[in-house]
Amino acid sequence: MSFYPGPVQQHFDHPRNVGDVEGADALGEAGSLKCGALLRLTLRIDAAGQTITDARFKALGCGYLIACASVLTETIKELPLARSALLNESAITDWFGGVPPERGHCAELCREALRLALADYHNARQEEWTGEEALICTCFGVSEQSIERAIRTHALRTVKEVTKACNAGAGCGSCRPLIEDILDDHWREMS
Amino acid sequence: MRDEIVYLDNNATTRVAPEVFGAMRPYLAEAYGNPSSAHTFGREMRRSVEHAREQVAEALGASDANEIIFTSCGTESDNWAIRGVLEERPAMRHIVTTRVEHEAVRNLCARLERSGYEVTWLEVDEEGLLDLESLRAALRPDTALVSCMLANNETGVLFPVEEIGRVVRENSDALFHVDGVQAVGKIPIRLREWEVDLFAVSGHKLHAPKGVGALYVREGGRLAPFLVGGGQERGRRAGTEAVPYVVALGRACELAQESDASPLIRSLRDKLEDAILDSIPCVRLNGARDRARRLPNTANISFENLEGENILARLDAARICVSTGSACNAETHEPSAVLAAMNVPYSVARGSIRFSLGRYNTESEVDYTLSVLPEIINTLAGMSPFEAEQKG
Repeated sequence: MSFYPGPVQQHFDHPRNVGDVEGADALGEAGSLKCGALLRLTLRIDAAGQTITDARFKALGCGYLIACASVLTETIKELPLARSALLNESAITDWFGGVPPERGHCAELCREALRLALADYHNARQEEWTGEEALICTCFGVSEQSIERAIRTHALRTVKEVTKACNAGAGCGSCRPLIEDILDDHWREMS
Repeated sequence: MRDEIVYLDNNATTRVAPEVFGAMRPYLAEAYGNPSSAHTFGREMRRSVEHAREQVAEALGASDANEIIFTSCGTESDNWAIRGVLEERPAMRHIVTTRVEHEAVRNLCARLERSGYEVTWLEVDEEGLLDLESLRAALRPDTALVSCMLANNETGVLFPVEEIGRVVRENSDALFHVDGVQAVGKIPIRLREWEVDLFAVSGHKLHAPKGVGALYVREGGRLAPFLVGGGQERGRRAGTEAVPYVVALGRACELAQESDASPLIRSLRDKLEDAILDSIPCVRLNGARDRARRLPNTANISFENLEGENILARLDAARICVSTGSACNAETHEPSAVLAAMNVPYSVARGSIRFSLGRYNTESEVDYTLSVLPEIINTLAGMSPFEAEQKG
């Protein structure tokens, strides 16, 4: 018999990706006032491919938090930014076959650290943005031209398809009406 | 990996001593009579119960065996002592206790406070020690009761009950209740010489089984009955005596008297405590630095900026049993109230581990613990976001 349930114990005993990504592209730190836990998540992001290529964590909290953070980093490695932005707690807790309610905030903390890390990345990208083109999706730094190119190349018809193709609209969603307009303009011109 | 566990959690409970089990065993089988029965078989049970009462009285340094009443556990003894005194003194509505009592006293006093009693909660300092001046100042003409522990379950800190008793006696009409649960069997008890009116004992803390305790009520002390029914325990706690358990408690008390393990326990505790404090970085002792003011068996040590539950879980995997004041559970995420009362910062309190030794521990167990602990702490520190600051 182990201290924690089997799958939790396994990640607690051998946590994956402990540490800090050196020269990280993104940092997310989340803390819980409820139990005083703290989680630091650092990411390396391939800007061209819009993909997380490395994820590491450090945690001060119970074994559940360590196990959740371990699973989180495994899950988001090699994951496109758009998909990681949509990740929810159950992607972590399902791995353990669920967690007791009182440990649920461990997964919430992981989700929060990831959200903050992605926001950190996007903020940095926005500050760096020097292009002449209009930036439509600030979350993922996608310009109007890139969106038009994607629509043209793949003959995209819906916002969802655009998001899938170039990440635009995958974050906060505030640019979705703009993408809608770009789609309308494009197909009006074509017709 | 060891086959046998290393049990360093003797303040939680203790192993039933073979001598104790041997003494109680017949009463679980063939010696099943009722001590209240008139026949010889019953009267033999009565004799066994009264023998046990003498054994307990002897261990507590009581004047008379009739000052001992058997109960079901330490919590019952504490609850009864407090409620029983208040019931006898309805006009006195003030209680004095401390912030670091066991829940059996602390939560009861909090409850009484909500129901209209006035409670003065005495503070402790950073080492968990009490200021007798604040006690003196707290006493009032309507103080019904002063309740404090002899030894703290989390830190092992000892309160000077002899002096406290004198202060209470000289400055008030209050009765003095002492929660002695963690102290009996670990340090000498001299109730005859102390101004203590009520004293609570728990069997399973001193190698008797769970399910038995005792309450000392000073000769002539008035205490409302706990259970009303037959005339058992001189009408103060009705209900057929739990003869096997009573016999076990008596034998456990005798065992503590006839073979005092405290020198061995003290030397093992000192070795463990010294080695941890000397060799592991960012550690801090919780409780009195002066070991004379602590139980000989307890070392409560904080590993700063680490989670106590993680340390416990890793030690658990190494088959070492300890406690932490900061377990994450459904009811509470708060660290120990005792450490909070001692003003231990949260970042320190959360990484607190209580090592509590007992008569069956060996030096090789302490060596084994010392061989695995540094690596556990090192690994966990490597995961902590505070690691950089710790190193810097």
